[in-house]
Amino acid sequence: MKISFTINGEAKSVEVSDGNSPLLWAIRDGLDLKGTKFGCGKAACGACTIHVDGNAVRSCSFPAKLAEGKEITTIEGLSKDGKTHPVQQAWIDEVVPQCGYCQPGFIMATAAMLDKIPNPTDEDIDKNIINVCRCGTYYRMRKAIHRAAKMNGNTDVQ
Amino acid sequence: MAKKDKPKSKSRRKFLIRGGLGTLGVLALGTYVFRNPMRRMTLEMIETMVPPYSGTGTEANLWFEITTDNNLILHQPKVEMGQGTFTGLAQIVSDELDMNISQITVTAAETATGIVDGMSTGGSLSVAQLWTPLREMAATMREFIKIEGAKKMGVDASSLSTADGILSGGGKTMSYAEAIADLKEFNLPKTPELRPVKNYKNVGKPIPRIDLTPKVMGDPIFGMDVEMPDMLHATVIRPEHVGASLKSADTSNAEKMPGVVKIMKKDGWVGIIANSFAEALAAKNKVTVEWDIPKKWSDEDLKEYLKIGQGNKQITQKKGSALDEEGEGVINMEFRSPIGAHAQIEPNGAVAYVKDGKATIKLSTQVIGVTQKQVAEALGMDNEDVNVIGTYLGGGFGRRLNTAHAVKAAQMSIEVGKPVKYFFTRKEEFQNDLFRPPTHHIMRGKMNGDKLEALEHHYASGDVAMNSVIFPAAMGTILGSDVGASRGGSIMYGKIANRRSVQWHRTLPFATSWWRSLGLLANTFAIESFIDEMAINAGKNPVDFRLSMLGEEENQKRIRKVIEEAAAKGNYTDKATGNRAMGFAASIDANAPCAHVVEVSVDGNKVRVEKVTCVLDSGLIVNPDQVRAQCEGSIIMGISAALHEEMYLKDGRLFPINYGSYDMALMKHSPKEIDVHLVQGAENPLPVGEPPLGPIAAAIGNALKRITGKRLTELPMKV
Amino acid sequence: MKKKAIKYFLIATLLTSSVLVFANLTESGTQENTTEYKVGEAPFDKMMEVLTHKRCVNCHPSGNVPRQGEDSHLHNFDVVRGEDGHGLAGYTCNTCHTDENNDYSGVPGAPHWALAPEIMAWEGKTRVEIAQQMMDPKRNGGRSAHDIMEHLTEHELVLWAWEPGVDAEGNPREKPPVPKDEYIQAVKEWIEAGAVIPEE
Repeated sequence: MKISFTINGEAKSVEVSDGNSPLLWAIRDGLDLKGTKFGCGKAACGACTIHVDGNAVRSCSFPAKLAEGKEITTIEGLSKDGKTHPVQQAWIDEVVPQCGYCQPGFIMATAAMLDKIPNPTDEDIDKNIINVCRCGTYYRMRKAIHRAAKMNGNTDVQ
Repeated sequence: MAKKDKPKSKSRRKFLIRGGLGTLGVLALGTYVFRNPMRRMTLEMIETMVPPYSGTGTEANLWFEITTDNNLILHQPKVEMGQGTFTGLAQIVSDELDMNISQITVTAAETATGIVDGMSTGGSLSVAQLWTPLREMAATMREFIKIEGAKKMGVDASSLSTADGILSGGGKTMSYAEAIADLKEFNLPKTPELRPVKNYKNVGKPIPRIDLTPKVMGDPIFGMDVEMPDMLHATVIRPEHVGASLKSADTSNAEKMPGVVKIMKKDGWVGIIANSFAEALAAKNKVTVEWDIPKKWSDEDLKEYLKIGQGNKQITQKKGSALDEEGEGVINMEFRSPIGAHAQIEPNGAVAYVKDGKATIKLSTQVIGVTQKQVAEALGMDNEDVNVIGTYLGGGFGRRLNTAHAVKAAQMSIEVGKPVKYFFTRKEEFQNDLFRPPTHHIMRGKMNGDKLEALEHHYASGDVAMNSVIFPAAMGTILGSDVGASRGGSIMYGKIANRRSVQWHRTLPFATSWWRSLGLLANTFAIESFIDEMAINAGKNPVDFRLSMLGEEENQKRIRKVIEEAAAKGNYTDKATGNRAMGFAASIDANAPCAHVVEVSVDGNKVRVEKVTCVLDSGLIVNPDQVRAQCEGSIIMGISAALHEEMYLKDGRLFPINYGSYDMALMKHSPKEIDVHLVQGAENPLPVGEPPLGPIAAAIGNALKRITGKRLTELPMKV
Repeated sequence: MKKKAIKYFLIATLLTSSVLVFANLTESGTQENTTEYKVGEAPFDKMMEVLTHKRCVNCHPSGNVPRQGEDSHLHNFDVVRGEDGHGLAGYTCNTCHTDENNDYSGVPGAPHWALAPEIMAWEGKTRVEIAQQMMDPKRNGGRSAHDIMEHLTEHELVLWAWEPGVDAEGNPREKPPVPKDEYIQAVKEWIEAGAVIPEE
């Protein structure tokens, strides 16, 4: 079965033998975009988080067939037009990653949250960011999220 | 081992050129003189290096590759699993080789280069181990480049200065790349005097991690991301029950599933190889398996099996006389810790391609050399015909010291004649982990007035170091105890006249092994909780109580320093305020003392660690930002173990099987403040990735005691 | 605006269980049961066997956190209802749950996957309390008995209970103890007969 969608601004299609199989594999292996990670395959850890029509979606539990005609963004497409996305920039500024494996999922979840809550409180962050990081980079992530929110704010002013 | 210590003669040193790859000289240090106290350990590592299996290198260890565009690729034996080693090594090299950090790429050497770590990337040792050898190698390289450059420039080598990979002198400049271009064979100069550490420009600075951008942008750097042309995807059926073995498997329905290329049965496992991972998984569900389950283990069985008094007894610390448990004034207290899972987010797996008698294995591993040996042995190949290429690791924590899955990937590749990517599902990760063993502890103490006159730590543990691939059982027999389980098991207070620690070791029915900090976490939980209890009994401030038990020896002074500094920086008080209190604990691991002050609040049954003040004596600091990151990470992983994590046995199976049900610290459990203070109590860098895990659980328990009045003696602690 | 629409929809769909309103009738006692049933076989009994089953109650929790699994434990990661029962900004129900069950992940799904509003919490309540609440327009989003009947017998999210898919281990989820057809029949009979809530 052939599924067509827009991913990171480009029209693509991918062939899967079962439309119910996870979109994650179509992205990672079908389109060779490896930034979206497999962690649990059960929508628990959040490493596979992407955006589908602007909303955070855990792609390991999202049937490929439902991607038909949708607008998808992965970590590779978060920064656009040669400009580093504020969340990614904040992550760099705060030197967040350790092993780095879970980070794309967190970055995508954060970007989705900041779209809807531009200035999150600590409590908002605690409630909204529920991915799993084993290295324990949460402490720096929180700082990076606040920093990204500020950077977003500055962009708006300009 | 002692005989091998002798440095080899200078005349045998050679640089060799590695052909191809579009780079111009690859320089190799054939042998190398180590002159510091790390020598024995490092030599041991070097001595076990595997000779290069192909190419022009024969005895070469190819560390420094200077590319035509005058950048450096450092091929070295350690892997990067988040601990920041690559960044630290780049800093060290930059300061002796005089290259800019931005010119340096660090890579885990593939075994074909001949650079193979004889041990592992683990024990938080990477920077500490390579600190002196790497500086010496880089300095030697610098001198060598100067000599060769001077010849080409027609100037005297001593007149040349070096910076950013450029030689300057006599009004001329030349890049390192040009200086050594076209050289066919090299004779290394004498290793020059190392520069004083205080003159280093990058060592000691919080240089941002060199792998920051690829990790934030989602570059394909992990084992899971490896692609090979025409690669197939595989999954393996493994037992769910502890100790179970495969009796029979009916694969007829699975074989008809779309995308299935081959289903193979071998040595008690079934491999499903398909065009895609989803297809392999779908087919796996159609296999009917019968298992032979000798015993269905329960938590109760395990508790009975693993306890003090069972298994192999070994005294691991002995000073003064032993206490009688029923003696007058003797206080006994029991502690326990559960089975812990590694739960690293990147599943274990490997991509293997076996063709024409050669195997290529790409994977996340902490033991590149062991992986090579295991695959070679299983396939009946020579080591040099197996090239293992280590990728970035999506978490290590000790889990990747065992890579038996690489063998299966290779066997499946042989079966289909194509590259095969095979990795675990999350359930398999949880049920086939090599867990942190559960532990049982009895603390025994006796006061004399307000002083402890005797303290004993009896502890039972499953395997940590014993029976592991990097630490054969024979070594355990020689040493008599499991040296992993004993980490942090000794009592560090030198003025307690009678001290004892006694290990009871037993191999469990499921695999247990290294989990970040090994025995340190549980042992310190028992010892430092009990010390706190004794301080309360004595009516003393727990910080003063600890300080009063420390002697005057060097390591005692260093422990004293971190305890005093933590109490001061954290404004420690042993008085609770409402539902909030502080807890104090300290430990020493791998010669790196650490103390934490934690501020904890309790709301109903919810425990929150509000703030942690951490003081670590990390020795010389190569990268303060990354040492801090290791402290933060250890603290959060420690909070997770202290308050959340627990595996259990039910009907012979290990649960939970996923994140979420395996409760772990999340964003909301992370302290809002982690205040790290680093002190340098040693001349050289010390391990930093594990020591801060030591005191955390005890410190939390000690705070909870002050809030609730109850001493919690089991991990994870629940109020 | 969008939010309102969602809310309305939610109320309309989720509350379905609230059989409406003939509260007056019941109180005045004008309705009478004319058919005789064996114990536990009355339409009300059959319906309530379903409505009190975990497949229903897990998403009608008493707090802000959904429940999950056969043991109805609090939903992992403490996910919460959010303002409209669809979760929070960083994750919604749909971050993980789609319009259908996913056999690969074991994540359940159905159209309009969401939490019932707090006023429609069933967790910990008796059958009678649930029925009263369900039929009370003040607590069921102002629905008529007919609306409730439709919700209970036609709504995809309600009927998902009989096609609950497999769990994360690949094992089939438990279905309600009454077959779907019998349940639908029972709901219709009960409401058509005046939605009499028995005394217990």
